[in-house]
Amino acid sequence: MSDDASVSHAALGDRIAGAVLALLALGAWWHSHTFVTGFMQPVGPGVFPRLVSVPLGVLALYLIARPGINQRWPGQAALVRQLGMLLLLGCYGAVLEPLGFVPATLLATVLLMRLFGARWRQALPYGVLLGLALFVLFEFALGIPLPDMPGWSV
Amino acid sequence: MEIFDSLMHGFAVALQPEHLLLALIGCTVGTLVGALPGLGPVNGVALMIPLAFNFGLAPTAALILLVSVYYGCMYGGRISSIVLNIPGDEPAMMTTLDGYPMARAGRGGEALGLSAVASFVGATIATIGLTLFAPLLVTVAIRFGPAEYFALFMLAFATIGGVTSGSFTKSFIAACLGLLLGTVGIDPVSSVARYTFGWYELYDGIDYLVALIGLFAISECLLFLERDQHQRVAPMQLGSAVPGMRQSLSCASTIGRGSVIGFIAGVLPGAGASLGSFLSYVLEKRWWGSKGRFGSGDPRGVAAPESGNNAAAGGALIPMLSLGIPGSGTTAILLALLLSMNITPGPLLFEQQPEMVWGLVAALFIGNVMLLVLNIPLVGLFAKVLQAPSWFLMPMVVLVAFVGVYSLNNSPFDLYMMLAFGVLGYVLRKLEIPTVPVVLGLLLGGQMEFNLRRAMAITGGDWSILWSSGISIGIYLFAITLLVAGLIYAWLVKQRLE
Amino acid sequence: MPINTTKIIPRLGISALLGVGLAVSLPSQALPIDECIAPADPGGGWDFTCRSVGKLLHDLDLVEGNVQVTNMPGGVGAVAFSNVAGKRADDSNLMVATSTVGMTQIAQGRYPGDADTMRWLGMLGTDVGVILVDADSPYQTLDQLLQAIVEDPTSVVMAGSSGAGGWDHIRALMLAKAAGLPGDRIGALRWVQFDGGGPAVTQMMGGHVDAVSTDLGEIAGFIESGDVRALAVLSEEPLPEPFDELPTAVSQGYDVTGYNWRGFYTGGEVSDDDYAAMVDTLHTLYQSDEWKEVAAQNGLVPLWRGGDEFSDFVRESIDSVEAISREIGVIQ
Repeated sequence: MSDDASVSHAALGDRIAGAVLALLALGAWWHSHTFVTGFMQPVGPGVFPRLVSVPLGVLALYLIARPGINQRWPGQAALVRQLGMLLLLGCYGAVLEPLGFVPATLLATVLLMRLFGARWRQALPYGVLLGLALFVLFEFALGIPLPDMPGWSV
Repeated sequence: MEIFDSLMHGFAVALQPEHLLLALIGCTVGTLVGALPGLGPVNGVALMIPLAFNFGLAPTAALILLVSVYYGCMYGGRISSIVLNIPGDEPAMMTTLDGYPMARAGRGGEALGLSAVASFVGATIATIGLTLFAPLLVTVAIRFGPAEYFALFMLAFATIGGVTSGSFTKSFIAACLGLLLGTVGIDPVSSVARYTFGWYELYDGIDYLVALIGLFAISECLLFLERDQHQRVAPMQLGSAVPGMRQSLSCASTIGRGSVIGFIAGVLPGAGASLGSFLSYVLEKRWWGSKGRFGSGDPRGVAAPESGNNAAAGGALIPMLSLGIPGSGTTAILLALLLSMNITPGPLLFEQQPEMVWGLVAALFIGNVMLLVLNIPLVGLFAKVLQAPSWFLMPMVVLVAFVGVYSLNNSPFDLYMMLAFGVLGYVLRKLEIPTVPVVLGLLLGGQMEFNLRRAMAITGGDWSILWSSGISIGIYLFAITLLVAGLIYAWLVKQRLE
Repeated sequence: MPINTTKIIPRLGISALLGVGLAVSLPSQALPIDECIAPADPGGGWDFTCRSVGKLLHDLDLVEGNVQVTNMPGGVGAVAFSNVAGKRADDSNLMVATSTVGMTQIAQGRYPGDADTMRWLGMLGTDVGVILVDADSPYQTLDQLLQAIVEDPTSVVMAGSSGAGGWDHIRALMLAKAAGLPGDRIGALRWVQFDGGGPAVTQMMGGHVDAVSTDLGEIAGFIESGDVRALAVLSEEPLPEPFDELPTAVSQGYDVTGYNWRGFYTGGEVSDDDYAAMVDTLHTLYQSDEWKEVAAQNGLVPLWRGGDEFSDFVRESIDSVEAISREIGVIQ
């Protein structure tokens, strides 16, 4: 991943990450005190998270102080495509059970292919093909029960 | 020699044409399933069970089929690591580090060939070790108590700074993050819910497969989407597997060391194949120091983890068969398989059912050879797959992974979790924080914590037990040596750069 | 290492339906059982219960097709319990393996729910507690072990497959109490939890712990191979062969028994008809010779309680374990 030439020395990313991780470590430390140590346990459930959050916090602070190199962040167009994919896959997860596997997957494959640069005349046939292939692979070959369409059952 | 006779008998059984055909089917299906990210031995075995049980296969035949699938999956995991930078399963994670850069440089076929030979040698060494030394190794393995296991995990995390060429700090940060994420869920010791915030879906903890697919596959797609439409790269050329097989001769010492380290990690229940491949990689990297180009396509960076991974998978059979203890997730699947065939592994298995054990060992040997041979046509097949345009390839990988993850628990929650890990993986990669230690922390954190707590339970809270045995002191000294050597080396490199 | 939802025996396709459906007449039931959740990793007692019973249901043609075994480890059964309660309360094709260990968790309030959350199908047999030491251990009898504990509770490290306060631990504490360990010293006894009886025994063989309290079934092989010595079994009467030589705690003057029965529950919203059909299926299985054989092979004593009788028994077990836990101080 570091073979990209687009390495910038803007250390802002590391500083932000360091701050977030330091907060995370602090939160984990603080929250671990709510874990009740049970009957006859010399080391309770909170000890290990605390043991881990200390080096995490210290290293995060070090990262703020001495940030390293980051790669360049993407431009706006790329960001839109990336958000599009996340949104698409998130929606796919949400409609998988109400719509059933086949319709949800057909939609997802076609749209995902569009997103990855296919034309409609490529995305439609191949998307349908891939969706159906996935259905056959998982439902029949692998024997994994998938959500049925409402009113249909296999 | 009694063992030899039994083994020959096992071979006579395994070499029947019907059994060879089953081994071939098993290896092919296993490799294909294993290569798909999100699908692993669980799915491969599930695929074959109807065949095994409903077509009236004899127990030996069924065992050969299922073992071949199991081994095939272990082989297949590395394929997507090398060609897509997405590990097919968690032990294949280390293979992405050098395998993918090799593929980017047009040496993918070579990497596949080399890794096939390394896997073959690792698995064969482990199977020979299993044949000859199983009883002896068991007596050594039980010397490892909670304190010794804790020391072993400390060794893994002390060497984690050497995983990638990036900064030490960032590797350790990633490891701590993984360890912390590993504590999410119901604590098995006290039944206290930790960091679940009332979400029932988190009670069982964060599934390492969900994290692995998110961190690698989803983030890879996000990286891919950064490029503009017209920048899309031409399909990668894989090349032939044959030069890689020849190259394995020059990596012979690497493969040998990787196999031994992996085998030792495998024999210790609870350590497993992931630790085996990790330690093989890191120690090999240290061995060569500045003479290696690890992280940017060094063939030894492919040979070491693959030999380690497969040797560990073979080594893990020793505690599984002779003590009935599954050392890792994949061995647990094999154990469940044996149980469902009315074979109960345990101290008496070798005495009571020798024909079963040696039949299994013979099946392992044969599966191994078959996978090595199969590899040459399969590389061709995968080269074909890679010729598919990326608008087809990437959605396919994402959706296979998606459905695979969904099928774990039939829960959309896992899908959202996977997307979250995808974003995390993407951000970490942008920040040049390696993702491998995150998965490793998640994988090993639970065992590390419980062995610590067990050690404390033995002494009633006296921490000195952690360094009270020769084994643990030895491991700590080794870890400190590696850590210091790594720090000095990093400092020297920095001096030279400045 | 976490092992999640290992789905080994999948639902079968058409082949199984044809093959089995033609051959037999099924007992009256609305939906056949086709999934068994083992709330643990492969290899332990619950996993064995699901696998052996699932396979027998198939072999005896009591169900259509195969019974899929789903491993759902976490929280000593709490994860499976909450999953079934939350998502699958009316699934009449599902059963979940449980045992006295699960009852202990309910009694101590460690599950998200109580006995009324589920419908209790039946139990098929019982396993029995056993106290083990390594073959080279200085302790030759239960007396010697318990006296050492009474003199200095910190001198003996015990281990088992349950957590502190779990069923394996409680059985050990009941013995220590019977031997005269005062209540305020009970907390000094060392207890180490492993992932199962097998790992606990192998750690004992490695010299990391001194004695193990667990169930006989899972570790029977280690007794037969002579690697460990059984100081006591916690049954009222001596066990049948091949374990008839093992001394009971009762015969050594300690009035402590501790069984671990194996049974199943299903979701709380399964209809009465489906519930009755499922109980019926399990009872048919219990009466088969094949089950007796499988049980004997694995150190279980076949014992049937089903339907309402079993539900009452479950409630009584929970009450009695709760009382013991309170007495020992596991819960306040």
